[in-house]
Amino acid sequence: MSGILVVIEDRAGGIARISWEALAAGQQLAAQLRLPVSAADIGAETKSLATEVAAHPLAKVVCVEHPLLAHYTADGFTLALEQLIRAESPAYIVFPHTYQVRDYAPALAARFGQSLIGDVVAIDDGPVFMRQLMQGRLNGIYRHTGNGPCFLSVQAGAFRAESVAEQLDSGSRSSHGTASVAPCSYQGMTSVVPKMPLNEDGALAPEETASSLTAVSIFTPTLDPDRIRTRPGEPFRGGTQTVDLGSAQRIVSVGRGIKDAANIPLVQELATALGAELAASRPICDSGWLPIERQVGSSGHTVSPKLYLAVGISGAIQHLVGMKGSQCVVAINKDSDAPIFEVADYGIVGDLFEVVPALIAAVKAAKR
Amino acid sequence: MKIVVAIKQVPERDAQVRIDAAGKWIEASDLHFALNEPDAYALEEALQLKEKHGGEVVVLSAGPERVATTLREALAKGADRAIYIACDDLGSRDALSVARLLAAAIRPENPDLVLTGLQSEDLGLGQTGVIIAELLGLPHATLILHVEKTETGFTVKRELEEGWFQTIDLPTPALLTIQSGGNKLRYATLMGIKRAKAKEVLTVTAAELAVDAVPVVVLEQVTLPRKQKSTQILSGTAKEAAAALVEKLIVEAHVL
Amino acid sequence: MIPLLPTLAEPQHFSLLEKLLFIALAVTSAVAFWRRFGIVLDKILKSKRDPGFRLFPIGKRIREFVWEVLCQAKVIRERPLPGLAHAFVFWAFCAFALVTLNHCAVALGLGFLSPRGSIGCLYFYFAAAFALLCAFSILALFVRRFFIRPRWLGAKLSWESGVIALLIFVLMASYLASFLVADSDPAARVLWWVHTLALLIFLPLIPHTKHLHLLLSPVTVFLSRGSFAQILPLSDDEDFGLVAGTDLTRLVSLQAYSCVECGRCTEHCPASNTGKLLNPKEIILGLRGYLNEYGPASDQPLLGKYNSQQAVFQCTTCGACEFQCPVGIEHLPILVGLRRGSVNTGVWEDQHGSQLFLALERGSNALGISPVERDKFIEKNALPLFDGTQEYCLWLGCMGAYDPKGREIVLALVRVMNYLGTSYGVLRKERCTGDTARRLGNDLLFQQLAEANLQNLAENKVKKIVSICPHCVRTIQEDWREYGAPPAVEHHSEFLARFVSQLPRTVGPGFSPDIGSEGGRGPQRRVLVAGVEEGGFNPRTKPIAPGGALAPETEQTASSTQPGKIVYHDPCYLGRYRNVYDQPRKVAALAGELVEAPRNRERSFCCGAGGGLVFLGEETGERISHNRAQELVATGAQTIAAACPFCNTMFRDALTAAGEDAPELLDIAQLAARGLPPSDVS
Repeated sequence: MSGILVVIEDRAGGIARISWEALAAGQQLAAQLRLPVSAADIGAETKSLATEVAAHPLAKVVCVEHPLLAHYTADGFTLALEQLIRAESPAYIVFPHTYQVRDYAPALAARFGQSLIGDVVAIDDGPVFMRQLMQGRLNGIYRHTGNGPCFLSVQAGAFRAESVAEQLDSGSRSSHGTASVAPCSYQGMTSVVPKMPLNEDGALAPEETASSLTAVSIFTPTLDPDRIRTRPGEPFRGGTQTVDLGSAQRIVSVGRGIKDAANIPLVQELATALGAELAASRPICDSGWLPIERQVGSSGHTVSPKLYLAVGISGAIQHLVGMKGSQCVVAINKDSDAPIFEVADYGIVGDLFEVVPALIAAVKAAKR
Repeated sequence: MKIVVAIKQVPERDAQVRIDAAGKWIEASDLHFALNEPDAYALEEALQLKEKHGGEVVVLSAGPERVATTLREALAKGADRAIYIACDDLGSRDALSVARLLAAAIRPENPDLVLTGLQSEDLGLGQTGVIIAELLGLPHATLILHVEKTETGFTVKRELEEGWFQTIDLPTPALLTIQSGGNKLRYATLMGIKRAKAKEVLTVTAAELAVDAVPVVVLEQVTLPRKQKSTQILSGTAKEAAAALVEKLIVEAHVL
Repeated sequence: MIPLLPTLAEPQHFSLLEKLLFIALAVTSAVAFWRRFGIVLDKILKSKRDPGFRLFPIGKRIREFVWEVLCQAKVIRERPLPGLAHAFVFWAFCAFALVTLNHCAVALGLGFLSPRGSIGCLYFYFAAAFALLCAFSILALFVRRFFIRPRWLGAKLSWESGVIALLIFVLMASYLASFLVADSDPAARVLWWVHTLALLIFLPLIPHTKHLHLLLSPVTVFLSRGSFAQILPLSDDEDFGLVAGTDLTRLVSLQAYSCVECGRCTEHCPASNTGKLLNPKEIILGLRGYLNEYGPASDQPLLGKYNSQQAVFQCTTCGACEFQCPVGIEHLPILVGLRRGSVNTGVWEDQHGSQLFLALERGSNALGISPVERDKFIEKNALPLFDGTQEYCLWLGCMGAYDPKGREIVLALVRVMNYLGTSYGVLRKERCTGDTARRLGNDLLFQQLAEANLQNLAENKVKKIVSICPHCVRTIQEDWREYGAPPAVEHHSEFLARFVSQLPRTVGPGFSPDIGSEGGRGPQRRVLVAGVEEGGFNPRTKPIAPGGALAPETEQTASSTQPGKIVYHDPCYLGRYRNVYDQPRKVAALAGELVEAPRNRERSFCCGAGGGLVFLGEETGERISHNRAQELVATGAQTIAAACPFCNTMFRDALTAAGEDAPELLDIAQLAARGLPPSDVS
């Protein structure tokens, strides 16, 4: 194959948004390097997902299927993908940077004598890959110098799922991705990405409802149950689920600046006034001031509301990752250098104990 | 039960970040170093397992001379032995190379359990533990909050995205990468430090471990992040700023 | 001719039987005495020696002894009337020394002081005068203990005190009565035996009761360490503080047995006054109980049956207990010693405590804030960096560098220093002085911080430090000495006081020279600086539920606040710890007229932040800061002057309970800066 292989991750029976983002990254890389891009689904039964992916112009879509892949295990996925990679010999393997990928991709890369370039936020000519260091206070530019495939994983929200090329009319289909596009840039690295709108749940409605554009093939790895050494249990919730941040349109999020659990009602009042859901950064949930279901960040929810209001949040990278996809970000923090302002559209530098009450009043006044 | 904990000494979390002359890393002269926080949780988990089941906790770290302080701190908190891998070029090695170094030092120990922190606070790769598991042929699991010893091995609690968790059963020996926040960390005590003086610190050089150090991934350059979009800072008194914000959200951003 | 007053009757010719009886009783009494006293002495002597104890220079010890023991200075000064009564009893005992000896000698026919002789006569009348005072005093003290029942003596009635009081009274009464009978009167013999029996019953009771202090406390005062709240270095690699009986030193054991249970320590303790478990008297008596049961060679933990860890960690280290103690007990080394025993061995598991230690382990300050914030503060305000050429190093400390209110204090001081043309600079890097680590008993952390700081200061060639925080001052000057030679350090009140004549006087806002016809009420508008408007560091900030704290009565605040009056609160670490009382007052007086709080100067009531408590979890019971803030507000002053950023932060929170009418809260530096011309704003 050579070319680029994107590994799709399913979540709860559907394709996670971040997988589309990985696909977008793969397509970008493909366009840069003039290489074909393919995708692989992995699981026990992946046909329906594969069809969805195959609705986009790719070189091919591979279903890596085996009954032992029904539930994720590091051993199972590593073995299966190892075999696929040996069979297809891609030059680049692109993963979404999920918990699952972090669990097996480094081992998989090591099997090929390679080292995963993880959590990439931008790809530039070279290719070189940018990732964040020192908790987001530094950017590093990495280059793959080894002989053999290059493994990379992309950060949630760094590539736009909307830009996964849609199926175009059959004439313009090529194995290199799509035609003219608009440039966008991240941190000064200009990249060429195709742009198409996505609907609400991250899927693209194909213009034609014809059968899949791209060929789908099945790959059955050889897996021996003895070689799968871990036994995963069923996922369970930490507490009772009362809130769905993933689909909230407005979120008010509270961080360490709130200083005390007793001050949370103040922010709740703001959330209520705005008709927003209340969320929090990790330290707040760790302290038990809000339940874990309300956590936004790399270890909590990834949200993309229309409005995200960060109150007393400094903007540590683990949190930013969770809310970067928000359409409009407002930050209230007393430190003008807090990283949250980097991603905010609007900011108020001030004491939240003064600003929040004033904001509540202003919002209520505006409603009248 | 023998537990090996691989720890890393990293620049203190709130250090000022300035790029060095070569543009390849941060200026290290003014920095203080400390134990990587997820590794502190890994150590805590190991110590609690030892307190419950007996055995030995061995800490292991690679790097320049200053790493010795962090190893002593780990001994002070209750680890029994330390292994120091003298390595002056840790920064220029990729994750695979570092893992090879650590794995080579761990292998002769034949531990029942290897723990590492989930990721480091400086590079944040989160891979070293997983690669070590691969190199040593150990089953592994990542993002672990809680470890329990069972008849056949271990049952662990793993963190998933969006507030979900999962238990996983593993045989022994195994490797786990530990997420922050699972336990309450203990502080270093005077008694711990005094007892630590008598504890063994074995020094091994990177050369002795004879691992391949040719990097397959190179960090070419570091830069300071730029703001990606302009942020409108609304000034004035709290009242004025709040009013201005509400107006902008209605008129400009169309979100209210 | 004036008839001579009757002289003391002295029975003559004791029969052999009487003499034998007397000897037998005396021996029995002495044996009973020794059986108990011997044990106590043994326990004290078997305790480990105090490392570094120096008997010399002895002059200071003798002076202390004369003043505190013989003159009963502290006993009288801190509780005047009961103190005086006690002093009379004590002096009577002293005066009676020869009387008692003679009394016993008489039985054996060896009386050496004759009431007929002029010396004897004089002496006996001299003793009689004291006997009268003593009898009257002991009666008064009896009434106080059993009828008036002051709180601080404890809720339980002490029957042993009653018995002793009775015996003393009988001793005095029988003595006085013997003036009224003749030698030959059989009543004289009866009185003699009554007196003797009282004596011989009293003697063995001494070591069995708190009256052991009769014998021990003069020794305790004489042997005391002579410093205040001193925390000694640990003696060796196996010393972790007061963990078990084997860690109790002779001095500590002596002090434990000397406690006279007067309750003066408890009376002034901020924790005891606000419903906490901690009671300093009980800490000392707890040690005594431990020694009685287990002895000084025991491995039993000191914190267990007789003392609780919870109580020990409620101490703010304000030092009021040690300051008050009339028998020389040094509570602070004991309390911190007990904390050391828990912390140095990792036995203390407290969420906030661990967090504090971890923050100090990893970072530069106790607040866990990035040092970049300190750099930004310096840069933004263009504070000069210390380069070795300036005269003073201005030490910011954790509060001055990171807390918004602390920063205001620093900036006010900077304004004054600029006005005075002082040469000063701020260090590029500071680490926490380690005060909290020290007071909480974490010797490892404290050593690391002290050594790092001393090295930094030496490298920067710092000779003189001025600091806004009394805790920093104390730690730098006294506690760092264990690890090196700290530079000279003073508190900013001491610095400013030297230049008070150069600073313009001012008056507070709202002051009007014509008070008008409202009888001194003055304008009602107050400048509210208190409250959480800054959202600055105060880990104890909690919105106070209405009625949750004891808010002062509004009518009191509204009608009696007087314009231009300032009440100065003596911080523990500046007042009792450093003896600085007048300098801050001189500085505060620049801005108005001083009034005093009821508990002031050496008796100042703690704000509740000390001993690391400001970083620990929520207090139980009433908040110490609220108790004190109420007192300050009740003085009617318009301004509360503080000299410590921790006091400032504690009162800022507490004053929110006082609402709109609360007095303004300012540091003395801010008061001093008030009068400066605006052009000095940096």
